Amino acid sequence: MKLFKSISLAVVCLILGVMMAWQFSSVKQNQVLAQYEKKNINEIFDELLIEKNNNENLKLRLQELQLEVDTFKAGETDVQENIKALEEAVLLARIKAGLETIKGPGLIITIEAGGIKTVEDRHIEELINELKATDVQAVSINDERIVGMSEIRKAGDYIMVNGNQLVPPYTIKAIGDPDNMERSLRLMAGVLEKFQYYEFIVNIKKEENVIIPAIREEYIKIDKLTPVR
Amino acid sequence: MRKGYRTVMFIGFVLFGILINVQLRSTLASNPNADTSAKEYAIELEKERNEGKRLMEQLAVKEAELEQLWQNLGTNSNNQEINELLRKRDFEYLRAGLTTVSGRGIVITMEDAPAKGELDVNEYIIHDGNINDVLEALKENGAQAISINGERVVFNTKPVCAGPTIIVNENRYPPPYVIEAIGDPDVLYDAIETLPQVAFMRLTDIRIQTEKKEEIIINRYRTYSSTESQLKGIEVIEK
Repeated sequence: MKLFKSISLAVVCLILGVMMAWQFSSVKQNQVLAQYEKKNINEIFDELLIEKNNNENLKLRLQELQLEVDTFKAGETDVQENIKALEEAVLLARIKAGLETIKGPGLIITIEAGGIKTVEDRHIEELINELKATDVQAVSINDERIVGMSEIRKAGDYIMVNGNQLVPPYTIKAIGDPDNMERSLRLMAGVLEKFQYYEFIVNIKKEENVIIPAIREEYIKIDKLTPVR
Repeated sequence: MRKGYRTVMFIGFVLFGILINVQLRSTLASNPNADTSAKEYAIELEKERNEGKRLMEQLAVKEAELEQLWQNLGTNSNNQEINELLRKRDFEYLRAGLTTVSGRGIVITMEDAPAKGELDVNEYIIHDGNINDVLEALKENGAQAISINGERVVFNTKPVCAGPTIIVNENRYPPPYVIEAIGDPDVLYDAIETLPQVAFMRLTDIRIQTEKKEEIIINRYRTYSSTESQLKGIEVIEK
């Protein structure tokens, strides 16, 4: 009898504990989910896709890094291997910085005024920004490479990029996925529709081999930057 | 003894009853009208986000490990060529925005208007276009490094509006938006304070604060994608 009571008490306590844990976790989860309540399903789904894609990329990058660490450790004495890896790192950084001339598939877009409205810096900026949103690997305007600190400004009736004055027609080259880039330009109420309204003459051409020249070495200034380790 | 035992049992069952009740109610309340698939996506999204955070931490650890290996190699080996390449790499990383940097500059904090007025609601919130205007002004006035909420601005950085938040370099940030720039603090400050677009935004109570700073730290650009995918389809041409 005594044993039965102990057991039943133990069972009740156990159930109580499990219930409390369950309750606690469900309350916590509801709090986390409450932040999504104001959003509609499409937004949540879009975010989910972005997040999944990011995580996929992160996993690939991790694998790549692991491989680099492993090969480094395995061939610590192999000077030639190390030199090759360092040269690759330098080249990749130079491509990122816009200091290398590169070739690849992409778009060549020419744009010119057709009506009364002239093509202004902000129109070009808008077009470039649209391209930037699509994983573009390099962009140039009349062969002026767009780098991190490139400015596109108004200079009278024309525009100025990287401190050089450019005259129309403006030729914008972009290396990246051509279909993807074209699609994002042709979006409803997108940048091209606006240009049509301004009567700009726009020509978009997909090319297998778009060549985008490097920026001048002296354009990238770093005299005010101190590296932090 | 017996009495004490009964009291314990009594309290136990009362709690038990309350718990069952609460749990049942919360289960019933959350389910019927709510869009179940939206909730499922939300659960999945939360999971992916946590996974993302975990992966980022792992990535940081791995990167640090690799960097340490390179540093060790640099100090241990007397190989001239390797040391020369390491120096060159550091220099190119600095130019490409792949190094964290410090310097003098300004901090701009932008926040939506505290309340909606008579105009369209869009006039009271900050859009990607507004941030681009500020970035453009900074670049035109000699900024050498810029970040938005800690994300380094590189050649293809473009803040994208996503509801009440922005996405920069594939990461999402809610307001306030903090833009930091290294350059001549006086020149940058004047450029932002005299920018017509900033004046327009202030008209609708969008809060924009500009502050000169003696030291600003700007994070390096973090690569989340593999080297292979970054170089996909492109070829370097010798000049």
